[in-house]
Parts: sequence; C-alpha cells; structure tokens
Amino acid sequence: MAKRVRSEAGYARKIKDAVHLLFFQHHRLPGVRGWELRQELGPDWENVLEVLDKQLQPMDLQVTRVLDDPNIIDPDQAQLADARFYITMRSGIDQKAAKTIGWRVDDIAGLAVAIAYIISKQGKAPRTEVEKLLQEKLPGWRVKMSIDRYIQQGYLGEDEKGVLYMDWRSRAEVDQKQLVDLILSFGKRKEVEVAKPKLEEHTEEEED
Amino acid sequence: MSGKKRDELEGVIGLCRAVQAGSVEPFAVDIDYMLEVIRRYYPETNNLQDFCTDAAAIKGLSQVLQSQNDWIQHQSTTLYKDPFLLNQQIQKMDISAIADGFLKSWHTIVQMEQLSAKTLAGSLGYWTDLIPLVERWKVSDVQMVDAGTATLDEVRALGYLPEEGFADIMESFWKELEARVGKDGRIAYWDWIGADTYEETLNRSYITVFLVSYGYANIESDRFGEKVEIIHNSELRSDPVQSKLSIPTLVDYEEWKQWRKG
Repeated sequence: MAKRVRSEAGYARKIKDAVHLLFFQHHRLPGVRGWELRQELGPDWENVLEVLDKQLQPMDLQVTRVLDDPNIIDPDQAQLADARFYITMRSGIDQKAAKTIGWRVDDIAGLAVAIAYIISKQGKAPRTEVEKLLQEKLPGWRVKMSIDRYIQQGYLGEDEKGVLYMDWRSRAEVDQKQLVDLILSFGKRKEVEVAKPKLEEHTEEEED
Repeated sequence: MSGKKRDELEGVIGLCRAVQAGSVEPFAVDIDYMLEVIRRYYPETNNLQDFCTDAAAIKGLSQVLQSQNDWIQHQSTTLYKDPFLLNQQIQKMDISAIADGFLKSWHTIVQMEQLSAKTLAGSLGYWTDLIPLVERWKVSDVQMVDAGTATLDEVRALGYLPEEGFADIMESFWKELEARVGKDGRIAYWDWIGADTYEETLNRSYITVFLVSYGYANIESDRFGEKVEIIHNSELRSDPVQSKLSIPTLVDYEEWKQWRKG
C-alpha cells in the first residue's frame, strides 16, 4: 500500500515537472524536445505526458507532438526523442477571441490562404505567387506587411531565393489536414445546408 | 559551343530552377526534351564554361526527377489535395469564411512567463555580488618599465611556465589513466577529471582535452550526453572507427560540488 502511495506521489511530482517544462519557455523558441523530457521525467516520460494530456482536457488544452517529418505516422524512439512537444488549445478559437489576441480577420484569412497554398504546392511556394494570390482580396501594401509578420512570428519561413515554406509555428499550431478539408468542403457544406430544408419541405408536402 | 546553344542549355537550367522554387509543377516539364538538349550539345563542349553549364543542366535535371518522386510520395499521403481545386475554393470563399475555417484548425501554443519569489531572491543575490561598472571597467594604470630578460628557470620559478613540458604532463596523465583503469579500460568522465579543488578539476579537464586530441585516450558519450567516459588507448592513436566529433563537456562548479558530495 505504502509502495503504491509512494509511486502515485512520484507520478504527481513528474506531472508537475512536465507542466513546468511545457508551460514555461526555456529556449529561444517554445516547446521541449522529447530527449529533454526523457532526461527530466525518466524512462516513462511518454506515460507522464499521456496522463498530463488527460488532466488538461477539461481546461481545453492538450499536449501536442510535432515530428520533424510530418509524414511519419508511427515514430520510433529516436524520432520521438527529436520531436518537439507543446501545450496547445484543444479546440479552435472563434473570431472574437482571435481579435483579443491581436489578430484581425484579414490577418487570419491571409495566413490561412498562404498556408493552404503552400500545402497544395507540396510545402513551398514562391513569395511572389503567394503575394499575387493574397492581392486578389487584400490591398498590396497590407499583403507585404502581413507576410513579413507571418515570417516574424514563425508561421512562415522564407529562404534566400524568396521561397516561402511552413515554419515551426504552423507545424505546431495548425492542423493542416483539417484546414485543407475545411476549405475543400466549404461549398459542399453550403450545398448540403441548402438542400436539407428543401428535402424536409418535400417530405412534408408528400405527407400532406 | 555557340551563344545560342548555350542559351538553350541555360533555358533548361532555368526551368529546373523554377521547379525547385515551386513555381512550375515537376510534371509540367518535358524531361525527354531536356535530355535531348543536353545530349545534343554534349559533344560540342570544349571548354570549362561549357562543361560547367552542361553539369549544371544535368544536376538540375536530376533535381527535377527528385521533385517528381517527392510529388508522387506527397500525392500518396492524406495531405494531398489538388492545388487547382484548392485555389478555386479559396477564390470562391469570402475572407470571413476562410478565417472561420482557419480558426477551427488553429490550436495556439499556450506559454507563460513568470517570475517567482525564488527567482527574484536569486537575482538579488547576484546583484549584491555584482561589482560596480566603475570598478569593472576601470582603466588599467599602465606604467612604462624597462624591458629586461629572464632565463627559462626564472620564468618557471615565477610560475609563468609549468615545471615540466606539456608533453611530459600528458605522458604522466596517460600513465595515470593506465594505472587507474588498465590498458584500454574505461572510466566515467567526472571520476577521471574530479579532484579535491575546483581549480585542479579544471586543470585535469583541460589536459584531458589534449589527451583525447593527441590520441592518448578516447572519449565516448551516449546519445543524451548523460554518460561520458574516457577510454585508455594502449597505443598512441585515436580510434579510426570513431568519427571525429567534438563532445562539449561542461565542468560546472555546482556539478563539481555535487560530485564531491558523491
């Protein structure tokens, strides 16, 4: 019994350590590498993170893992050691909340379009092309400023040839698959929404 | 090679670069045509510039093939969506709808910065020990003195030079290592460099660096840098199998105190 209590206390301490590591910024960039967590929390660090993730659920937070190669589905120990771990919001945020953290709807839409375009271009696209796309709906001066801001905040990266790619923050914060699916299903969703009441009306008429 | 022909080859290189930059789809280029251009002009290459252009074209072409391979791999992943379709959808959507879609898939990082009473107390201690700038940046009082000469023995007596030569020091360290761990034996890094005083520990770690560099011993570290070991070399050479890597080891005062406590 005493052994179990001791083990529970040990686990609670490890979860506390994990909170300190993940919530507070220790390096220039946020996030903690797997090997750092292993070093601090011991060999059962993955279980500790799993328990912490469950405990964070009611607060709408989660432990997010970002692998260097996003195509890896089942990472091995070495890949996990190199992965970065963050605490992120579990669900999305609404436009009102986004405004309170300093994002205009134009900025958010611009970032969404830039990311979606880069994803569709296999992860990299010339800055001029992204600017051209954004300029269709946003003023030119604003487009340049916005892209600079996305780069500065770590959402996009730009190499010496002027090619944009998704940087660490997009990889950590944006569910790429969900974003692309949402954009592609936009029209279809509307069609379904419009078609639904018509079908219901039709059924009612038939019943009459 | 004539200017026109070189232009054609440079056109091929330009096309390859456009594929690399992502402005042209990898499968939009005609590989057969590019190969044919390279083949056609290869017999006419007769100077360094022509060879360089030809090599650049072949390199570009191989990169296009690599991009085609990556493109196929990307298409087989769940992330692949037709770029044309995606662009059409983006054009159709208004700004608010795009923003809404993005917000649903945006999970912002939660991060905090906080000062604790403990941190503040520690910083206060540092502040107290900090020497004022006036003292730290004090201009040295340099005086003109007559230059003199000193013999090697005098310099040693003054402590500017060690009593024995550096090679002798390393030899004695090598022998000490052999006495402690035996030929080709291993010892934990801290157990090897650790001494009664911090200064002596630093000195031992300094000499150990040369011991390893000159092949008297090898150093090995595990993946996480938790376990660092010094290995005795029975023959004076560095391990040819071992890759030439620098292993930075921190000889921290706090760590030394911990080591002393055992």
